[in-house]
Amino acid sequence: MSIRTENIKYIYSEGTPFRTLALDNVSVTINQGEFVGIIGHTGSGKSTLIQLFNGLELPTEGKVEVDGTIVGKDKKELKLIRQTVGLVFQYPEYQLFEETVAKDVAFGPMNLNISQQEIDFRVKEALELVGFNYNKIKDVSPFELSGGQKRRVAIAGVLAMKPQYLILDEPTAGLDPAGRNEIFNQIKKLHEESKFTVVLVSHSMEDIAKLVDRVIVLSKGKIHMEGSPKEIYSQAEELEKIGLGIPQTASIVRELKNRGFNIKQDILTIEEAKEEILKEVRRRNV
Amino acid sequence: MIEYIIKIDNVKFKYDKNSSYAVNGVSLNIKSGEFTAIIGRNGSGKSTLAKLINSILLPTEGKIFVKGMDTSDDSKLWDIRQTAGMVFQNPDNQLVATIIEEDIAFGPENLGVQPEEIRRRVDNALNTVGMYEYRKRPPHLLSGGQKQRIAIAGILALNSECIILDEPTAMLDPSGRKEVMETLKKLNAEGKTILLITHYMDEAVQADRVIVMDKGNIKLDGKPKEVFRNIDEIKKYGLDVPQVTELAQELIKEGLKLPPDIIDIKELVDILCQ
Repeated sequence: MSIRTENIKYIYSEGTPFRTLALDNVSVTINQGEFVGIIGHTGSGKSTLIQLFNGLELPTEGKVEVDGTIVGKDKKELKLIRQTVGLVFQYPEYQLFEETVAKDVAFGPMNLNISQQEIDFRVKEALELVGFNYNKIKDVSPFELSGGQKRRVAIAGVLAMKPQYLILDEPTAGLDPAGRNEIFNQIKKLHEESKFTVVLVSHSMEDIAKLVDRVIVLSKGKIHMEGSPKEIYSQAEELEKIGLGIPQTASIVRELKNRGFNIKQDILTIEEAKEEILKEVRRRNV
Repeated sequence: MIEYIIKIDNVKFKYDKNSSYAVNGVSLNIKSGEFTAIIGRNGSGKSTLAKLINSILLPTEGKIFVKGMDTSDDSKLWDIRQTAGMVFQNPDNQLVATIIEEDIAFGPENLGVQPEEIRRRVDNALNTVGMYEYRKRPPHLLSGGQKQRIAIAGILALNSECIILDEPTAMLDPSGRKEVMETLKKLNAEGKTILLITHYMDEAVQADRVIVMDKGNIKLDGKPKEVFRNIDEIKKYGLDVPQVTELAQELIKEGLKLPPDIIDIKELVDILCQ
């Protein structure tokens, strides 16, 4: 089970002076159970790629397959594909509109032709999956919630559709650090405990380094690199060249190394940096 | 005598009668030429405060003066907004024209500035933000960082002395963020007063002064080094410190002798490599 794209091209505004090749020969696979990060400069094609994953857009050339079904071949299957691949857009809280949190989360499943009992069950389950106490939150107006809470409600709305894959486009943009941690802890739990396959698009190198198993780097519509966070973030110059960066901890380690401090290169977390620095300092003092 | 471009005197504000105060008794003076960063969790009152300074909102209690002008004085509205221009979070919501140089000319045109003077201001503004060569292009083909630089240029063309930015980098990639920060530092060096609201701690450390807001009040106010050494307090307000500060404090806990107020990488590396 996987999402696969094969040599896809995506062209915007074909036949006009604004013709843009947004994706150029992109082949990627998202395997079930993975936690994949997608990074890339603004306009690198990240958002286009994830919209192709669930058939919101169809490729100009090449094909996208979700669990073996070719996306867009049969229009009737699109609905099912959009359910299987849940997409959480940027600033999803702008899409909240109902009077209560429970009604808002129920909106998607209500369109699915399932029983009221099943809808209620899904709403409760989805809200609990994103860390809410169902009874306390269900009758609250979504507009009274904090930024982080609103986003969690919006994510619950997608989870209530029972997707296999959860795709999030910049889920923490505009949130304060506490809100950011709140969202990421929930996403981590969804992946680890509820076994969702997660694809995270983010500009925060720190968060990608902390969370994902595999990173896909896009640049100008092409796949530039692919690998584990340690492999990717050890290539600082390369990333800077394409408009990205490395987590601050990785910059500290790199600078230490450049100045002759004896430390290994592939460190991404504060905890690990601390241990390695202490090791070297203690070795020197002995 | 010190010249304060913004004087906020015990200001309270609520959005409607029955809600609680979004800004609850803030007093703050900002010197002309200062680069101030305001940080605080969502809902702490930062954006409300910015809108009060720009006279988009009026204080429920207290007074705000921008270059001596009372923000609740209707007749001064346009002068105030010209003195203190605002840049918002979403670059796509603030560009109005189909060609970049026309977008920047929009402000001065509305002020009735003479055409030759507009031309001069537009060219200057574009050069300052490093976007002159893009002047004939449509804004929607720019990257996010470029769009924000155009929004900043639009304010420069109004000859604003002070630029207030409400999370201008929230939607940008790392290089876009860097572009915007470098532009702001350059403008500050040329004498502009900068008030930057941000959720990125690594941006706040680059300011002269950092103000921490929580629940409508100012909790901490000082140089970045003075503010960020209070890790526990900062985390209590839903914020974070730069990773380098956190790493330094972790190392101190393990017995290393380091200053408690390290905020940049070079400083930590210098000490460790001695």
